[in-house]
Amino acid sequence: MASLVLTLKETLRYRGAIGQWSWVLHRLTGLGVVLFLFLHVIDTAWAVFAPESYVEAIATYQSPLFTIGEFFLVACVVYHALNGLRIVMMDFRPDLWKHQQQAAYYVLGGTVLILIPFFAKMGLDAANHYTSDPFVLPISEVILAQLPFLGFFVIGAIAAVVIAFIQNSMADGGAGAVQIGGTGSSIEKFWWSFMRVSGILIVPLVFGHLAMMHVLQGVFDLTASNYTIIGTSTGSLAAVGDVLGNGINDSGTSVEFVAERWGFLWGGVAIWKVYDIALLALVVTHGFNGLRYILTDYTMDNPLLRRTVTNLCLIGGLALLLVGAAALFSSIDQDAIDLAIEATRAMTGE
Amino acid sequence: MATVTIKIKRQNPEISGKDKPYWEEFTLKDVDPTDRLLEMLHRIKWEQDGTLTLRRSCAHGVCGSDAMRINGVNALACKVLMQDVGETIMVEPILGLPIVKDLVVDMEPFFDHYKAVMPFFVNDDPVPENGRERLQSIEDRESFDDTTKCILCACCTTSCPSFWANGKYVGPAAIVQAHRFIFDTRDKASQERMDALAEPNGVWRCRTIYNCTPACPRDIQVTKAIGEVKLAIRRGSPTGIIKAIG
Repeated sequence: MASLVLTLKETLRYRGAIGQWSWVLHRLTGLGVVLFLFLHVIDTAWAVFAPESYVEAIATYQSPLFTIGEFFLVACVVYHALNGLRIVMMDFRPDLWKHQQQAAYYVLGGTVLILIPFFAKMGLDAANHYTSDPFVLPISEVILAQLPFLGFFVIGAIAAVVIAFIQNSMADGGAGAVQIGGTGSSIEKFWWSFMRVSGILIVPLVFGHLAMMHVLQGVFDLTASNYTIIGTSTGSLAAVGDVLGNGINDSGTSVEFVAERWGFLWGGVAIWKVYDIALLALVVTHGFNGLRYILTDYTMDNPLLRRTVTNLCLIGGLALLLVGAAALFSSIDQDAIDLAIEATRAMTGE
Repeated sequence: MATVTIKIKRQNPEISGKDKPYWEEFTLKDVDPTDRLLEMLHRIKWEQDGTLTLRRSCAHGVCGSDAMRINGVNALACKVLMQDVGETIMVEPILGLPIVKDLVVDMEPFFDHYKAVMPFFVNDDPVPENGRERLQSIEDRESFDDTTKCILCACCTTSCPSFWANGKYVGPAAIVQAHRFIFDTRDKASQERMDALAEPNGVWRCRTIYNCTPACPRDIQVTKAIGEVKLAIRRGSPTGIIKAIG
């Protein structure tokens, strides 16, 4: 902790050029995205395993707190993506270092340019929604709905500490300073390459996801009845039935929205499932390894703490991968949609 | 002939009340724009407060003894002109190394990292038949020319947020020194250096923040050198890295 406080304070005091601030923003935006990822992957899995909970989760997404959060999220994703490309470029072409400051300003400018139309559309959608006298989940319930995540985090943290204690009793501090003849682990070499390659792969995937799920069609459209879902053009019906598999959210439930997307077949392939599996695998691994970078940077002098945060990232990443994959490899049937319809009625009191 | 105020962050672990860092202000008259900051620190020490402690040797930007944080950025006090720093100047010790007294830090941890990268020429092959030097092409020599200029002042390493956070991180200066030998085609220990630097506290702790490059008083392209070492480790060999990237 002392190390984190010192670094935070001195980063503010040191007059580094824009490169230093790009690094600060890259970390903050990365943390923001990972935090939402944690909620989002588990929430979305509920569409499969607990339709009632998914209905409530989407209701929280359609409340003012999350609406504001969504603007921050989109800003985080866009900045992190563009600055990530800058880092990749500078890391693979170190000789371009003279352009890094200029590139950092282009990243800021590019972020603003992309965000203007994104925010305009999202803002219009939000304004239309909130002025149409919608059902809005009270903020107290929005916050209460996040308690399970705190619970998951606490359970993960306890497990991480316990495992770290066991590791500590079995081995010494490890991860010492660089030494002559050092033959320590070179796994960081792999992760360094992975972060850059996965980052490049994520950029088109995540911009497609943002465009489809947050901009062209936003969070408020998830529960619109008889709404044609983007990317599920008619003609190729899934094998489930007429209502489910027509590319239209007949019931106006978020669960059917997910079912329609994941059930949509293109040339016999559930392309949005494949898309989401790729996005899930890359983003979770990239995100939780990034989190590990941040957390271990400030805990290298304390083996117990360092192992705890490493375990926490491992547990968190694996849990999200498992939960997300379990959802993506399952299917949503009519029963789930009926449950969602009932849950919506019960929640809105209609 | 201007008057300037110099604020110095001081600390004396041996005197209670002064064992915590504190700022002390000194005023100097008759300061020329072309005076160097080191001379001003001398004037304070010699004319106002003899207990002010700092390290300097050559005083001409060659030995690297007087690295300090000046107005928020690392530099050598002997290379900073008063016309470039304004009328109120903040001077403090470089960060990340234990403070001995005032502006003097313990450089041992820094030199330990330096030693860890084998900063010496290794080649046990028999000398060439004519008994003279091992020849090298102009291009091969040029690939590490920049990193031969390092004077081990620690300006780069102590400007690095990764080093502030973690003193075990080998740091920019040691990687610059490793670069000088890794890319020397006559040297035979590149692989050992690269193996050591591939460890968790080696090059991968660098987050490409670029604080180190402008901090270097010798204008070494520090972040570029670190990047080249990373790519060499990634490929498993320094051969062709610098030519490939221009």
